[in-house]
Amino acid sequence: MDSIPALTIEDVAHIDGVLQDYLQKSESDLAVIIDKGGNVISQYGDLEVMDVTIIAALAAGSFAATKELARRIGEIEFNALYHQGNGSHIFMNSIDDDTIMITVFGSQTTVGLVRFYSTSAAHALAQVLKDLREKASGGFQFDAEDLGDAQVFDKT
Amino acid sequence: MSIINYASKEIQFKIVYYGPALCGKTTNLAYIHSRIAPENRGDLVSLATAADRTLFFDFLPLNAVVIKGFKTKFQLYTVPGQVIYNATRQLVLRSVDGIVYVADSQWDKMEENIESFRNLEENLGKQNLSLEDIPYVIQYNKRDLPNTAPVHYMDFLLNNRKKRVQNFEVISSTGQNVFAALNAVSQLLLHKFSKESDSKPSANPVGIPAAG
Repeated sequence: MDSIPALTIEDVAHIDGVLQDYLQKSESDLAVIIDKGGNVISQYGDLEVMDVTIIAALAAGSFAATKELARRIGEIEFNALYHQGNGSHIFMNSIDDDTIMITVFGSQTTVGLVRFYSTSAAHALAQVLKDLREKASGGFQFDAEDLGDAQVFDKT
Repeated sequence: MSIINYASKEIQFKIVYYGPALCGKTTNLAYIHSRIAPENRGDLVSLATAADRTLFFDFLPLNAVVIKGFKTKFQLYTVPGQVIYNATRQLVLRSVDGIVYVADSQWDKMEENIESFRNLEENLGKQNLSLEDIPYVIQYNKRDLPNTAPVHYMDFLLNNRKKRVQNFEVISSTGQNVFAALNAVSQLLLHKFSKESDSKPSANPVGIPAAG
């Protein structure tokens, strides 16, 4: 049976709670949890200014691209990456083998503070995600009659 | 693997356009980007070299139909076709939900088509995936060029697995059948996750044109 892994409203609230606390403490703008394929799992913070799906795709690519670099110095992969801009910066760290947290922050805080709080946030999120995976929920399936044969995309 | 978020009522799927170098994968995405209403798409992000060859991937996020209150979102990716970029292709294939294989119809590209298709099977294998599990369709692109191989011959080369899949004669530069292929793979993908697929193993009967 093929079903889609599901995040319930309670799961999302749990994750949001961790992210909200993290953003407050680290004084960051936005936190996004993605899988290493670039899918957004959850997001929290100032979402108006950026297209989160594009950030997720590029961040997953960026994380993956440095894996080979890590191997050259005897690492399996880097646990964290930092991209420094003039006013906005991105910090990314591994949550577990499949998941990454992206943090976007500005000049109101420092990379040291973000890095410090990201470690405990990642630990908390790793536990939440582990519990989710172990939860024997059936996942999501469509009803065949809801799908029909309608066009998924329409040309303009 | 796609994931569904009950709080935001969104479902995301990842579709990868795969095929040999210069077969028209990026052209497919550029056409789709140009013909979808701006409110239903994001930017087309291309990580390309100065000579317009795809270096890492192209990426286009799309909003599609709403099913029972859930918004479906499709992320379209292309892989770099050049042989040397295999590590990058493996990265882009991670968590893939559906595939559009783009073949170049020109006679002198048949070897590259076959090599790229084998490479796709190998790279899926490295992730413990296979074309048996992942919905895919095949495009025979560049049908407007003079030196194209017949469709039944390309089917013989590329669409010769136990379960034959839908194929499309495409001219990606003008958009011919670009949306037909995208809609077909999206439908296959949605039906894969429907309750109906449990009782009917071959979820969606696919239209295979008569050979000849």
